[in-house]
Amino acid sequence: MTLNVLIVDDSAVMRAMIRRTLSLSGIALGDVYEAGNGVEALERLGEHWVDLALLDVNMPVMDGEELLTRIRASEEWRALAVIIVSTESSDTRLARLRAHGVEIVHKPFTPEQLRNTILQVTGLTHAAVSNDVSVPSGDFDF
Amino acid sequence: MPQSATTSLFQAATSTFESLALLFPARCGVEGAGFVPLAATVSVAFRGAGEGRLVVGVTAGVLTALAENMLGAAAAPHAELQRDALGELANIVTGNVLPMINGAEAVYRLDPPSPAGAEPFRALDGETQLASTRLQMDEGEALLALFVSDVVGAAVTAPLPGVARA
Repeated sequence: MTLNVLIVDDSAVMRAMIRRTLSLSGIALGDVYEAGNGVEALERLGEHWVDLALLDVNMPVMDGEELLTRIRASEEWRALAVIIVSTESSDTRLARLRAHGVEIVHKPFTPEQLRNTILQVTGLTHAAVSNDVSVPSGDFDF
Repeated sequence: MPQSATTSLFQAATSTFESLALLFPARCGVEGAGFVPLAATVSVAFRGAGEGRLVVGVTAGVLTALAENMLGAAAAPHAELQRDALGELANIVTGNVLPMINGAEAVYRLDPPSPAGAEPFRALDGETQLASTRLQMDEGEALLALFVSDVVGAAVTAPLPGVARA
């Protein structure tokens, strides 16, 4: 199977890097969508089926925390698998985010870390979503 | 034993260069840093628990390598993408070094990266350089300096429990 992914980050460079890291992670990808803030993300979610969302926390217009709250309050998206991708280090804020049933990847991160977190948050096995691209540990870090 | 702000900056920078851009730096002395021919410099301003800015400058070889390793070979020759890659790296270093110095619960807001100006490594009026480091790698060099506001940034410059100043 393949995963449709939504990348939400106000930095176009970081979105490109996450997209590139995803492609190196060994996860079989379907469509990958991008949004620059929470409002745009809600628009993408309304337009496309998404299996996994990768969210930045600090963004203009609508930040990741508010976006997450709205996702979990939505009948349609409340079960969406979400990973927070951030430099956030506040234990208080991280605990608040985790209470929404998300996993957290700290920037900078490796394809292997991202893959393992995706498997954890989706509950899928590597075999189920593998694109057969081997990522030897430590070979690629982003 | 608590580590200095300079050591924190070195660790945050090294980790980010390595894992974000596959560049493996070693620390070298800051003496003579003013003569390093920097190809680009960016500044990330922060406010919140403290106020200040982090400046990152890199030589041409590092700048090209950053774009290539972060965004792909097609991005390497493009000046705009090179600056974007450097800005993102600076943003992540800033996001990582501030909690190392001031504790994980201190909340900061980071401004988007911006060009660092004509004399990027000179402290402006009302600010102090808290830490600096110079990194040497195969592709060239990088300079980093952390400046804090003398007034608003007092929380950063003041030694916290278990944290020593540079």
